[in-house]
Amino acid sequence: MTTESAAASLGPALSGRRRGILDRFGDRGLYLITLAAAIGSVVILGGLTYKVIDEASSAISSYGLGFLTTSNWDPVHEQFGAAQLLYGTAVSSFGALLLATPLSIAIALFLTELAPRGTRTPIATLVELLAGIPSVILGLWGILVLGPAMQSTIEPALHSALGWIPVIGSLFGGEYGIVGLFPAIVILTIMTVPIVSSLTREIFTTVPPTAKEGALALGGTRWEMIKTVVLPYSRPGIVAAVMLGLGRAVGEAIAVSQVIGGAPGIHANLFLPAQSAAGQIAAQYLGATGPATAALAYLAVILLLLSVVFNAMARILVRAVQQRASQT
Amino acid sequence: MSKWQSDYASRTGDTVTYGAVGSGAGIEQITARTVDFGASDAPMTSDQLSACKGCIQVPWSLGAVVPAYNLSGAPNNLKLTGQVLAEIYLGNVTAWNDPAIAKLNPGVSLPSTKITPVYRTDGSGDTYAFTDYLSHVSPEFDSTVGTATEVKFPIGVGGNGSDGVAASVSKTDGAIGYLTIAYVNSNGFNYALLQNAAGNYPKATIPAINAAAATAKSVPPSGVSIVDPPASAKNAWPDSTFTYVIVPTSTDKADALKKFITYALGAGQSFAEGLGYGTLPKQVVSDSKAALNKVDSS
Repeated sequence: MTTESAAASLGPALSGRRRGILDRFGDRGLYLITLAAAIGSVVILGGLTYKVIDEASSAISSYGLGFLTTSNWDPVHEQFGAAQLLYGTAVSSFGALLLATPLSIAIALFLTELAPRGTRTPIATLVELLAGIPSVILGLWGILVLGPAMQSTIEPALHSALGWIPVIGSLFGGEYGIVGLFPAIVILTIMTVPIVSSLTREIFTTVPPTAKEGALALGGTRWEMIKTVVLPYSRPGIVAAVMLGLGRAVGEAIAVSQVIGGAPGIHANLFLPAQSAAGQIAAQYLGATGPATAALAYLAVILLLLSVVFNAMARILVRAVQQRASQT
Repeated sequence: MSKWQSDYASRTGDTVTYGAVGSGAGIEQITARTVDFGASDAPMTSDQLSACKGCIQVPWSLGAVVPAYNLSGAPNNLKLTGQVLAEIYLGNVTAWNDPAIAKLNPGVSLPSTKITPVYRTDGSGDTYAFTDYLSHVSPEFDSTVGTATEVKFPIGVGGNGSDGVAASVSKTDGAIGYLTIAYVNSNGFNYALLQNAAGNYPKATIPAINAAAATAKSVPPSGVSIVDPPASAKNAWPDSTFTYVIVPTSTDKADALKKFITYALGAGQSFAEGLGYGTLPKQVVSDSKAALNKVDSS
């Protein structure tokens, strides 16, 4: 619709003298409904934060910061330490992003710069569909399909390829299982790639075409154009996308609790089972009583804080990109 | 429970709404009276009972937990004692050809496969029944692990839900994991026979579960444990357990509740066998009904 015809069709509605009751209160109604929606989300977030902190308060006061450094989760003897849970969360999330970041950048570059035009949208849609798979389905696939392949093929192959390297080799130790940190990393990679790649793709499309054309006009190859224009221009945006992906990975509970193996302990070998903070909450909250409930709420407080930090960092970086974009 | 719901609705036209939220949450909700009744796989502790102010818990179904295993080169129904099973879950017995296991299975050639104990990471009545049994037969297990729906096992691999445990057991050679006999039967797992106090190794059949339940001579308010039943029950499965319904003694839905639970204790028991559960012994039913009489309109 052109501007003229739009104005023409709006004309009678706006100039007509017989304005309906609904229209007369339209402005005010719109204001009130949108205000209520905005306030509602703030109230829910506030109430949620209050409730979680309130439930955690007894655990926070009795375990304090020692909760973060001890690693004994024993509901029977009422001893709670979250170090092994936070370790599992950290290793699985960072491991996932280590795999997901290059993969996502590759997907985004392919879709914005290299793929034939007609294939870009279908492929992008398919990648984003990955994000729509329910996590419990991914988790089940993880134990029934991925796990056995991990144990019989992938993990032994990684061990023989990388296990001999000093220090790093200890990550790929010689014990294999169908559940463990490594399957959790792979599942989280699959879950974060759609988010990180679609955000990265958006960022790549904000690179000014003039800059890209300039690089090509100066005789650069497509790779040199990407290296000297697209990637440097997008770096803060990519970091922000990775931060949002990290928030997703840290908070993912169901799929991780299905494949991580749920065994306490802090060890370098990625093939051994571990635990994660969000997975622990998902698995145990419903059955927990008394002090265990408070300790799980304390874990939730920590996760809430982490997500605030990741989101704030992502926001700051996105703002930097936007400012630079408006300067050009 | 879902079987009872539909059958009760078709018999009486009354609807019972039941949400499976986990035992801990169920106990919390009945304590806060946001629901009319609760159900729990583990009896409430005395603290929980007193917090619930005037609640009673009565057994209303009967199940059994068995150690399922996956060991290539070994036959079904290997024999174990509770002691040895406790040693396995404590990490003291680590290979299938350990002399402690070999001694119980003369004539069976056991592979040297490493034992991988599998347990539930989520709160579960199966974990309660299993740890209750191991704590009864092994003082070391009782002091290091204890009895609860959520415990800390020193070694092994966790699975989320019965499906998680089943997946780990079925995909790991050498794994052993506890599941209900109903689950094991419907999925065709091998399971180990456990020696009972009489020295026998019965299969976890309905009669064997019922024989364990029959040792419950009365039902005190704190609930009753029927794991490791006395030797007089010659063919009892040693890891059987009741699950409980929790009702407030003073409620405006007293009549409806009594009617439904009476149904569950009576006609409802007829479904048990088909689903792999035991039927409540007469003594327990009459005790439960007597306790139910305390429920009254406020």
